[in-house]
Amino acid sequence: MPAPTRARGSCVLDSSPELLQPESPPAHLRYRHRLRPGRSLAELWAKREIVWTLAERDLRVRYKEAALGLAWALLSPLALLAVFTLVFSRVRAFHSGPVPYPLFAYAGLLPWTFFSASVSNGANSILANKTLLNKVHFPRETFPLASLCVAGVDTLLASLAMVVLFAVTGWGPRPAGVWVVAIAPVEVAFAAGVSLALSAVLVYVRDMTILLPILLQLGLFASPVAWPFSQIPAWLRPAYAVANPLGPVIDSVRRTLLGGRAPDPLLLGLAAAGALAFLAGGYALFKRAEVGFADTA
Amino acid sequence: MLRDHVHSLGRALRGQRRRLRWVLKDVNLEVEPGSSLAVVGANGSGKSTLLKVMAKVTFPSAGYCEVGGRVGAMIEVRSGIHPDLSGRENVYFYGTVLGLSRRQVAARFDEIVDFAGLADAIDRPVKFYSTGMQMRLGFSIAAFMEPDVLLVDEVLAVGDASFQQKCLQRMNDVVAMGTTLVLVSHDLAAVEAMCERAVWLADARVAAEGPVRQVLSAYRSSVEQDAGLATRADGPVRVLKAAISGPGASQLRSGGPAEVRLVLQSDAGAGEARLHLGVSEGTAMPVFLVAHHGLFPEGELEMACRMEQLPLMAGRYYLWMAMQAPGGLTLAPWQPLTTFEVFGPSPRRPPNGVMVLAPIHVEAKWQLS
Repeated sequence: MPAPTRARGSCVLDSSPELLQPESPPAHLRYRHRLRPGRSLAELWAKREIVWTLAERDLRVRYKEAALGLAWALLSPLALLAVFTLVFSRVRAFHSGPVPYPLFAYAGLLPWTFFSASVSNGANSILANKTLLNKVHFPRETFPLASLCVAGVDTLLASLAMVVLFAVTGWGPRPAGVWVVAIAPVEVAFAAGVSLALSAVLVYVRDMTILLPILLQLGLFASPVAWPFSQIPAWLRPAYAVANPLGPVIDSVRRTLLGGRAPDPLLLGLAAAGALAFLAGGYALFKRAEVGFADTA
Repeated sequence: MLRDHVHSLGRALRGQRRRLRWVLKDVNLEVEPGSSLAVVGANGSGKSTLLKVMAKVTFPSAGYCEVGGRVGAMIEVRSGIHPDLSGRENVYFYGTVLGLSRRQVAARFDEIVDFAGLADAIDRPVKFYSTGMQMRLGFSIAAFMEPDVLLVDEVLAVGDASFQQKCLQRMNDVVAMGTTLVLVSHDLAAVEAMCERAVWLADARVAAEGPVRQVLSAYRSSVEQDAGLATRADGPVRVLKAAISGPGASQLRSGGPAEVRLVLQSDAGAGEARLHLGVSEGTAMPVFLVAHHGLFPEGELEMACRMEQLPLMAGRYYLWMAMQAPGGLTLAPWQPLTTFEVFGPSPRRPPNGVMVLAPIHVEAKWQLS
C-alpha cells in the first residue's frame, strides 16, 4: 500500500472494499509483514536514546535492589576464574604457554561474561517488559539491545580485575592490546544477533527459558575460555570460527593483549563474517516475529 | 506454549479448521485532525483493540491504519512504572520512553508533579505509593506529552472524583490545543461532555457512527433493551400500566407540565401507604423524587400525578416507583417503570467540561447592580 502523507493528527482505518468471501478479508488487504531493513534501522536510530534509557533503568534497579549491587558484576567472573585456576591449570591440555594461567583464563572470561550476560538478559527482555509492549510504540529491538548495554557496563567493571591480575602476575599488557578496539565489534555483533533471535523465540516458545542456561553452560566449555584455541584441530578451525565467533575473538584478545602479536587475519575475518551473519539473521527473525509480540507475550 | 502449538497442529492435521474469532471486522473510520472521537460499546466489543491498532502496538490482520503525527497513548497507565525506582526516576524513564527527550521531561517535571499532587512523595520508591498515587503518576506523565493524537483507554475508572475532574479538564485543554482525541470509556456523561463524534462498536463491527448524542442514544436504547426494564411482580402491589407525558398525552417539554398515570393492582387492602416516584438520568443516577402519602384500597387503582413544571433538561430519563407501608414494610420494591424523553433546548455545554451535564433546569433571573 503506498503511504500517503497524513495530516498531523488525522487517523484513517480502512478494511473493506468488495469482499470476495464473506468470512475472510480480500487477499490484497491481508496483512503481509514485509521486512524493511532500511526503515526499521532508520526508526531504531531515531529512537536510539531509548536503548540507553532502558539500560539505565535496569542498572539503577539493580543498584538499589542488591546490597552488593554492581559489585556482582565483578564477583561472577572472578569466581569462575578461581575455579578454572584451581582445576584446569593442572590439566596439561589446558596449558597456556608462557602466559600465567589466571591471566590467560580471565582474558577469555571477560568476553564470555559479556556474551553470556547479553544473551541471558536479552533473551528474557521482551517477556520482562511485557507491560511496556502494550502501551507505547517504539522499536522492540531496543529491549535486547539495552541488555547488551547493561552487559557492557558489567564487563567494564569486571575488567578492573584484569588490571589487578596484571599487577599480581607481573605479566604486563602488550601494546598490541589496542587491537581489542577492533575485535570488540565482532563480539558485539555476535551477541546482538543471538540476543535478538533468542528474545523473539522465547516469546513463542517459553521452554527456551529452561533450555537457555543449559546451552550457555555448554557454550562456556565449548568455547576456548578455559583452554587455548590451539586445541581445536587445524582442519576444523575455519568452520569453528564461523559457527562460534567467540573462539577467534578470545584467541585474538589473548594474542594481542597478552602475547603482543597481531591477530590471525583469516580466523578473525571468518569470525567477523560469522558474526555479521548471526546479526543479520537474528534481526530478520526478530522483525518477522515482532508482529505477534503484543498479542502473545 | 509449545503444547498449545502441538495441539493446534494436531487439530489441523485431523482436518478441523482453526476457529478464528474476529475482534474487529469491517471497521472503516476517518478521524479529522483536531476532532475528538469517543469509542463506546459493551465489554469485549473490540474497543481496546481498536485503540491498540491506532497506537501501533498491535498489527491488524487485514487492512491498514495510518496515523499522522506523534501518538500518545494512555493505556494501562500504572503498568509502565517500575516499583523500585523513585517517582522522580520514573518520570524521567517513562517520559523518555513515551517519546520526550530528557530536556523536555526536565522542563515539564514540575508541572507533572504538581498535576499528580505528589510533590512530597516524588523521591520515594513507587512501591510505597498507594494505587491511586501510582495511577496519578502514570496519568500525569502521559498527560503532559503533548502528542498530536491522544488515545485514552478507560484510564479514568480509577482515581477519586477530584482527580477525575482534573483529568477531564486536562483532556479538554489538550483538545483545545488542537490535539486529536480518541477516548474509550464507559462513562457516558464524560464522553458526551468531551467528544464531538462517537462510534459504537458491537460484536466487532461498527454499529453506529456520527455526532455523539445520536450514537449515545442509540447505544443507550440497546443497553436498555438488553438490561430489560423489568417491573417486579413480587410485592402485594403491582404496576399494571405506567405512562408519563405532557398534558393530554403530548410531548414532555422542559419546564412544562407533566402527568404520570399509573394503574396499580393491590392485593390486600394496602391501607395507609407512601408511594414514591423517582426520576433518574441513567440506570443509577437519581435526579429527584416525589412522594404521596395516602390510603390505597384493594383492587385496581388508577393514579395520576401532575407536576406543573418538570425541571428536567432535554434528554432521556427513567421513571421509578416504590411503595412502602408506615411500619417500613415494602409493598412494591423499587423498580423502573418506563423511560421517557424530554424535549427542549439542548443543554448548553458549560465551559471547560464539567463532568456531569447537570440535568436540572432551574428558572433564574439575573440582575447587575
